[in-house]
Amino acid sequence: MKMYKRIGMILGLGAALSISAMAEEVTPMVEEAAKLDVKKVCDVKANGPEKVLAIAEKYNPEAVKLGVEFKRLGITNRVYIKELKSAIAKKQKKVTLHYKSKGKKKTKTFPTDYAAWRACTFAVRSLQQVKEAQKTYRMAIPGDGYKF
Amino acid sequence: MIGKIVTTSVAVLMGVTVLSAGSFNAQAEKDRQALVKYMEKKFADPEKSRAQFFPYATDEDVKTNLKKGVKFEDFRMGSYAFDKIGRGQYEEINEMPPYEDNIDAGEELYNNTKGIKKCFPDPAIAGEYPKFDDKKGKVVTLSLAINDCLKAAGQKPWKLTKGKMADLEAYFAAKSKEAGKKVDIKIQSKAAAAAYERGKKYYYSQRGYLKLSCATCHVQGSGNRVRKEVLSPLLGHTTHFPVYRLKWQGLGTLERRIKGCEKNQGENPHKPGSPWMSEMLYFMAYMSNGLPVDGPDIRR
Repeated sequence: MKMYKRIGMILGLGAALSISAMAEEVTPMVEEAAKLDVKKVCDVKANGPEKVLAIAEKYNPEAVKLGVEFKRLGITNRVYIKELKSAIAKKQKKVTLHYKSKGKKKTKTFPTDYAAWRACTFAVRSLQQVKEAQKTYRMAIPGDGYKF
Repeated sequence: MIGKIVTTSVAVLMGVTVLSAGSFNAQAEKDRQALVKYMEKKFADPEKSRAQFFPYATDEDVKTNLKKGVKFEDFRMGSYAFDKIGRGQYEEINEMPPYEDNIDAGEELYNNTKGIKKCFPDPAIAGEYPKFDDKKGKVVTLSLAINDCLKAAGQKPWKLTKGKMADLEAYFAAKSKEAGKKVDIKIQSKAAAAAYERGKKYYYSQRGYLKLSCATCHVQGSGNRVRKEVLSPLLGHTTHFPVYRLKWQGLGTLERRIKGCEKNQGENPHKPGSPWMSEMLYFMAYMSNGLPVDGPDIRR
C-alpha cells in the first residue's frame, strides 16, 4: 500500500512540475509593472519628462527581453528612449527620431513631452499585457474559454 | 509479497507511460476539432449568424459575398474558401500563376545544391513540418531544417523569408500537392506538447500597441474585413505557403508573413527561426492537420 502511495506521489509531483514548466513569462518586473497606473506614472505634466523617461528606461529592456516590445510605424520603443535621453538632457522641445524602415534610413520629429509619454506607456503597457494575457488568452480559444 | 508489489508497480508505470505516449496530442486534437467546429458553424450561413459572428459586416458581404456551407476541406484555400469576390480574382490570376518560375528554380536548387537531396530524398514533405526534434529539444520548421542541412554540407545558410528558401519550399509544396499529401503534424512527446501549448498561448495572447492577438483577426475576426481585405481563417493558414503576394511582388515563406502580421499588431517582430516563431508555427500547422497541402499559391 505504501508503495502505491509513493508511486502516486511521484506521478503527482511529475504532473505538477510539467504544469509549472508551462507557466512562463511573468517575471518579477512584469508583476511590478502590472501594479502601475499608466496614466499617473506616465503623466509628463505632473512628473516631468525626466521621471517619465526613467520609467520607460526601467521597463522597456524587460519588454525587449520577453519579446513584447512595441513598435509603431517602423519605430521601436528603444529608439524613442535613446533619442529622448539626449533631447531631454539638452532641454529640447522637440525630438527627432532616426530609424530604419525597410532598409531605408528615415527620421520623424515629435514634441519631447509627447514622445516621453509614448515611450513610457509603451514600456509599461507591453509588460502589463503579458500579465493580462495569462488570464485572457484562454478566453479566445474555441472549445475552451470562447463559447460559440 | 515484495515481488508482487514490484511487478504491479512496474505494470502501473508502464501503463501510465504507454497511456501518456498516446495522449501527448490529446489537448491539441481537442483544440483542432473545436476550431473546425467553430469555423464550420461560422460559415454555415453568415447571413443567419450575422449578429454572432459578423456584427460589423455590410449587407452586401453577408448576403452576397460570403459563401454558405463552407466545409473543413474548403479551408485549405484560406479566405478564398468563403470570399466569393476574392476567389474570382484569385482564379483569374491563377490562370497564369506567377510562382511557376519559382517552382522551377526550386527544382534546380533541389537537384544541384550540395546535401539537399540527401537530407530530403522525398521532396513531398511540406505537410510534415514543423516537427519537434526531441534530441535538440526544439521545434524545427522546414526553413530551419533546410538550413541545418546546408550547414551540415558545409554551405552557407539561406535567408528564412524569401529568395532561395522560398523557391525550394515552393518546389516541396508543389511536389506534396501533386502527391496528394495532407498536413500531418505530430506531437509525440511531453516536450513537444509543451512547445505546442506555448505556441497556442502566443497565438491567442493580445500584444502590441493595438492589443491584438493573432486570433482577434484570424479566429473571431475571420471573414470580417479590415479595410477592403477579408480576413483569412487560422484553419488552413499553413496549407498554401510559400505564397506569391501581390504586395511583395514575389514569393515569401510563412515566416515572412508572420513577421508582417506582428508589425501590423504594433510590436517589434520576432526573428524568423526564433523559438517563439517556430513554436507558434507548430501550433498553427497542427490546427490544419488533415487538410491537403495546397501550395505554393497567390495572395493579395
